[in-house]
Amino acid sequence: MQRRDLLKLLSFGTGALMFPGTSANAAVPVLKFRELYVRGDELSDLTKSLDGKIVQMTGYMAPPLKPEVRFFVLTKLPMSVCPFCESEAQWPDDLVVAYCDDPIDVVRYTDLIDVEGKLELGFWKDPETQFVSLIRITGATYVKR
Amino acid sequence: MKRFTKLFLSGASVALMAQAANAQQALPQQTDSYFVSAQQELFSKLAEQPNTGRAKNVILFVLDGFSIPTLTAARIYEGQSRGVDGESNVLSFEKLLPYVALSKTYTHDSQVADSAPTATAMTTGVKSLNGTIGVTQKVTLENCASQKGAEAESIFELAEKAGLSTGIISTARITHATPAAAYAHTAFRDWESDATLSEEAKQNGCKDIAAQLIDWSAGNGFEVVLGGGRSNFLPESAADPEAADKTGARKDGRNLVDEWKAKYNDGAYVWNKTEFDAVDAEKTEHLFGLFERSHMQYEADRAKDKGGEPSLAEMTGKAIDVLSKNKEGFVLMVEAGRIDHAHHAGNAARALADTVAAAQALQVAYDKVNPQETLIVLTADHSHTMTINGYPKRNNPILGIAGTGDDKKPYTTLSYANGPGAKLDEPRPDLTNVDTTDLDFLQPALVPLGESETHGGDDVAIFAAGPWAHLFRGVVEQNLIYHVMAYASQLPSRVKAETTGAVK
Ligand SMILES: [Zn+2]
Repeated sequence: MQRRDLLKLLSFGTGALMFPGTSANAAVPVLKFRELYVRGDELSDLTKSLDGKIVQMTGYMAPPLKPEVRFFVLTKLPMSVCPFCESEAQWPDDLVVAYCDDPIDVVRYTDLIDVEGKLELGFWKDPETQFVSLIRITGATYVKR
Repeated sequence: MKRFTKLFLSGASVALMAQAANAQQALPQQTDSYFVSAQQELFSKLAEQPNTGRAKNVILFVLDGFSIPTLTAARIYEGQSRGVDGESNVLSFEKLLPYVALSKTYTHDSQVADSAPTATAMTTGVKSLNGTIGVTQKVTLENCASQKGAEAESIFELAEKAGLSTGIISTARITHATPAAAYAHTAFRDWESDATLSEEAKQNGCKDIAAQLIDWSAGNGFEVVLGGGRSNFLPESAADPEAADKTGARKDGRNLVDEWKAKYNDGAYVWNKTEFDAVDAEKTEHLFGLFERSHMQYEADRAKDKGGEPSLAEMTGKAIDVLSKNKEGFVLMVEAGRIDHAHHAGNAARALADTVAAAQALQVAYDKVNPQETLIVLTADHSHTMTINGYPKRNNPILGIAGTGDDKKPYTTLSYANGPGAKLDEPRPDLTNVDTTDLDFLQPALVPLGESETHGGDDVAIFAAGPWAHLFRGVVEQNLIYHVMAYASQLPSRVKAETTGAVK
């Protein structure tokens, strides 16, 4: 009993621990990578229903091209190589691009992060990097687990 | 003594044994359920008789990265997924392939192997250098010129020369190390398409692995080729059928799929499950399937594939339907290529799901052939660093928590010695409120190697059934696998008979 309370306290202390399936803000819906698509690039009803809404996703930050950029690629499993440097054949189809308001603080690519922001759907090519995305999170903030 | 053994080996002796056991002095534990089931196991062992006939067919299952902890964990995982007791659960090959040996996987130059020389050990009978395929110890890594005179002939080449049918299946790229060891000879496993060939390799006339597959001159070529790796066969100018914005990888302009189609007008080329399902094995003499640009999907993700992919079991079944039409028999390799990839990612759930898929494929193969005339071998090329640790209670979820460490944090039953699951210069994560059974969970690791968990150097298991399968016993060298397959099928002498013009 006592130890349990202590653990709880400790986890609040670090501020990074999240309960699975919940967000720091209970009102924000959680979207899992495996729920994004029905099959191939066909978006799920859940994904479509959350278009334009604030969502939370959990994943890994792929190493960015350069640290001063304002976006990063969020992946289901750690990706060691930068998405722009490697031949695309090795890249998973279900990546999500997170756009932040400020230059990003790079988190190691093997550390889980919870990302919160507005879900944006549809084919889009970044004019600056030519990077193509189908699902984006804009105004993204993130916290390391 | 000799007569005694013989008697025990005959089928009738089982009944005698059972009587003898009953006639013995009553033991206090003799009605215990564990005692009784192990006694039954003894009787079935006594009834087993070595098969010394000629193997008409040989099927080699290679479960890439299938370490012994992976075997145990997959057995528990499969049972628990079905809602039965996991620990006493039995995977198809544990039941169907009674002969087991331990395989020493070290290579000519390395304590811990990669998939290239280990597959070569199985397909050609020699140990060689890490990173090389279908060549002997005489080769120098990444040196094309050194390939000359270092080639080793594979059992698939022998089989084709002897008039048998041959097939290769992999859930990885079909140009990846394991399936490549059936047909390729190369000083470097990464030369999968001409785009990755070095200047030295081009200058000295070394061919990339995809081109070697299509240009393969043994017999009339593979009857069955099923796997991933489509981009290595298509030119940069060709759009990919599954992803319109992606193209092939080849820079030499060759469209190897078109070349294959031109070579086999009795053949069927397929790239998705619908086309695959429509193939009539009765009418198809050559089948070529490339279901993904790179590796095929993990079994856990397969249902979501855009173009649709057959399972390893479905590919195995269709392959045997095509191959078994040959009265001379066939040699088939089935690789579950992505157990290894999931381990490299530190993701035990996907590794276990792919192992279960391989067990299902083995069951399909066993049911389709005459086990009396088919040598079936199932093994791994090398191990990985996953362990099963702690003192979890019986029926604890295999992907669950085993206990609590001195740091008061929970630890999982499965963990890795190294890999992406380790934090860099930070205490290990607190898993108190984490669902460690989630498909995407990465098991904790000790040494941070973010790019990839490493292979392991411990021995792996060989399971076998059929003609001469009983030669797989004890602790053996990995390259013995080739020698038993060649001996059981008598392929080397059958080739000789052909070339000297002798009658079959
Ligand atoms: Zn590997």
